[in-house]
Amino acid sequence: MTSAAAEAGGAVNTGQIISGAGHAGLIAWAVFGGTFNADPLPFEVTEVTAISAEEYAALTAPQSRPEAVANIDTPEAPEAGDAPTLSSEADSAPAQAEPEATPQTEPDAVPEAVAPVPEPEIAETPPEPPAPQEDVAVLAPEISARPQAREAPRVAPEPMAPPEPDVRIDEVERQESAPDPQAETRQPDEEATAPEEATTEIVTEAEKAEQAAPSRSLRPRSRPAAPAPSEDAPTQTAQPEQPAAPQTDDSAVADALAEALGQAGATGTSGTPQGPPLTAGEKDGLRVAVQRCWNVGSLSSDALRTTVVVAVSLNRDGTLSGDVRQLSAQGGSGDAARQAFEAARRAILRCGAGGFDLPPEKYDHWREIEMSFNPESMRIK
Amino acid sequence: MIQRLAWLLMVALCAALPATAQEREGPLRIEITEGVIEPLPFAIPDFVGDDTTAADWGARISRVVASDLTGTGLFREIPASAHIGRITSFSSPVQFTDWTPINAQALIVGAVSVDDAGKLIVRFRLYDVFAGQELGQGLQLVGTTDGWRRIAHKVADQVYSRLTGEAPYFDSRVAFVSETGPKDARQKRLAIMDYDGANVSYLTDNSSIVLAPRFSPSGDRVLYTSYESGFPRIYVLDVATAGRRVLESNDGTMSFAPRFAPDGRTIVYSLTQGGNTDLYTMDIGTGQAQRLTTAPSIETAPSYSPDGSRIVFESDRSGTPQLYIMPAGGGEAQRISFGQGRYGTPVWSPRGDLIAFTKQSKGRFHIGVMRTDGSEERLLTASFLDEGPTWAPNGRVIMFTRETQGAQGRASLYSVDITGRNLKQVPTDTGASDPSWSPLQK
Repeated sequence: MTSAAAEAGGAVNTGQIISGAGHAGLIAWAVFGGTFNADPLPFEVTEVTAISAEEYAALTAPQSRPEAVANIDTPEAPEAGDAPTLSSEADSAPAQAEPEATPQTEPDAVPEAVAPVPEPEIAETPPEPPAPQEDVAVLAPEISARPQAREAPRVAPEPMAPPEPDVRIDEVERQESAPDPQAETRQPDEEATAPEEATTEIVTEAEKAEQAAPSRSLRPRSRPAAPAPSEDAPTQTAQPEQPAAPQTDDSAVADALAEALGQAGATGTSGTPQGPPLTAGEKDGLRVAVQRCWNVGSLSSDALRTTVVVAVSLNRDGTLSGDVRQLSAQGGSGDAARQAFEAARRAILRCGAGGFDLPPEKYDHWREIEMSFNPESMRIK
Repeated sequence: MIQRLAWLLMVALCAALPATAQEREGPLRIEITEGVIEPLPFAIPDFVGDDTTAADWGARISRVVASDLTGTGLFREIPASAHIGRITSFSSPVQFTDWTPINAQALIVGAVSVDDAGKLIVRFRLYDVFAGQELGQGLQLVGTTDGWRRIAHKVADQVYSRLTGEAPYFDSRVAFVSETGPKDARQKRLAIMDYDGANVSYLTDNSSIVLAPRFSPSGDRVLYTSYESGFPRIYVLDVATAGRRVLESNDGTMSFAPRFAPDGRTIVYSLTQGGNTDLYTMDIGTGQAQRLTTAPSIETAPSYSPDGSRIVFESDRSGTPQLYIMPAGGGEAQRISFGQGRYGTPVWSPRGDLIAFTKQSKGRFHIGVMRTDGSEERLLTASFLDEGPTWAPNGRVIMFTRETQGAQGRASLYSVDITGRNLKQVPTDTGASDPSWSPLQK
């Protein structure tokens, strides 16, 4: 009796298992099989590697470039040494061609890299700088920063030391594309030039004289960050990049994936006319080229509150086809919008005069470009 | 595990969708948030003239225009020696290809003629070289040869305004105290000049000490404090005739630090009586005075907001001099300065958004600006002694007094942009202090 019942029970169990397995398979097919075809699934699973901490760090690294490079401005020898290490990390970003390089364990690392826990520590560092600065103010080497800040009549995203005396500063800043790392085959016949001396922000006399906080507050922030990557695991390098911190949500991951997709595609199918979209690096190159000519120095404070969106059409060689058209303006009065548009148009016309450096095989992707000029961050320089 | 897989798939899907969407539809979109701040290069060939006299005026006028523009720090002139093209006629079309290679982003072309009555007729046009377009309409200005500098300032004002979107300020004057002699025996006279230091004329002799001239809102009168009677008294002076009169005040009192209200009839000032200094207003037509503050502390240096509704002033009621704002009719005052140090001489910007002040901290003096709620304080200068800011009519530039150390110390006028850039001395023949910037001339 008991054995029969057990047997019957065993039979039921077996039936249930088979039935359950069948249903589960059906549900799985309904859920996944109906939505995706078989191919994308494994493909996307491999993409998961793209959101590895390293990738993430590499992706976000370019954003911190201005700050990292700001260290070059720092005259102190040891810190000047630190700065290049930071920027070299930034350079490693484009080199990320192998998403498969660091696979399986990485997905778990995502939350770790994303984990905001250490960030508050870094966020708390800005209040500290005043103390070091007071010390620094006494140090002799710091003096060398003063003439630089005083003389540079130009405020740019990246600080530039005064160029060598025998190097020509071309009035047309198109020449600045010479040191542009994105450009590969741009300037065959241009003589050696150097970018014009520049500082990252306006330094008033009061700030200069006292070596006061505002002019330096950006640098100390990146300074404590510099030792961290060298001492710790590479995943830690994601933490100092504060600007990226708020983006550690799905969209950031999505961005990382999107870019990885783009890159993976780029390596595979470059050459076809209907190729993959521009990589982040290529877009960056375009952005940098335009922002170098976007001079907001003479704009009214009202115009500096105006974001304009303009459209341009490009020829296959990267030159402009037709005029720059204003699509929208937001934030300022009509006059301010006009000034803001004229400044944006000037930037495109000047820097695009020789043609933008864009991959011709992806022409379909950049034939039409919409550029949004948002001067928000320039207002407080 | 399945949840994670599903989540990852969702993420991948989210990532893939925009990417594919971008491939199919629409233009490439990029956002530019970083630019550069640097002087805008412009070219201004000498204005052409019908004959040598007119051409001579043309050269002089274009030099003043260029000087006005470069003096702002916002523009940089491309010297004539670098010019490729030559402007020989005002009416013929401009060859923009002559100007793009030298990176002239703005081009100012003008012509001068002298009519039978001896008047100067100045015409000019402004071009955006890279866009190949004229900016705005060409303008014609007519004036006497005596006022040729004003014509030049007006041309520069138009160009400045058209390129920056800011209100202009070149065609304005500055009243100041001219100082001669050593510190212990200094002679002071009230003087007035163009904003750039030209055309100085004196409004008083040097027989008595004068202080703190302040322009009326229309620029026709100046208030100042004089020790002519032995005590400080407030005078009002007509700029055109240099005629002056003393305002009502009681014996045994000292009145000083006057400033006009935007209505041009009322003034606000400090009055010391029985050892206590408070703020008063007075109708300068009737002499009717009204007391605004009653605190036992020292209240001084009042300045109206441009709409006349509020007054910012300096008071030591908290123990150290700080800045306060109260309604124009008196009443509850709100402290706005909270930084370390002593704050004084607040002046409300003609735009209404900022307050300029003098700050003394750690043995140094600064000129600074803050918003009207005290936020975003920014120190623009630092020296042994900086004080007495005054606003350009457009609220973009501040002029102030800087005095050097020692018995031979000399006071001079400086100007600085509200960004802290372009700090420079205003040229004056004598020592100069206490500037007051006039409104834009009509």
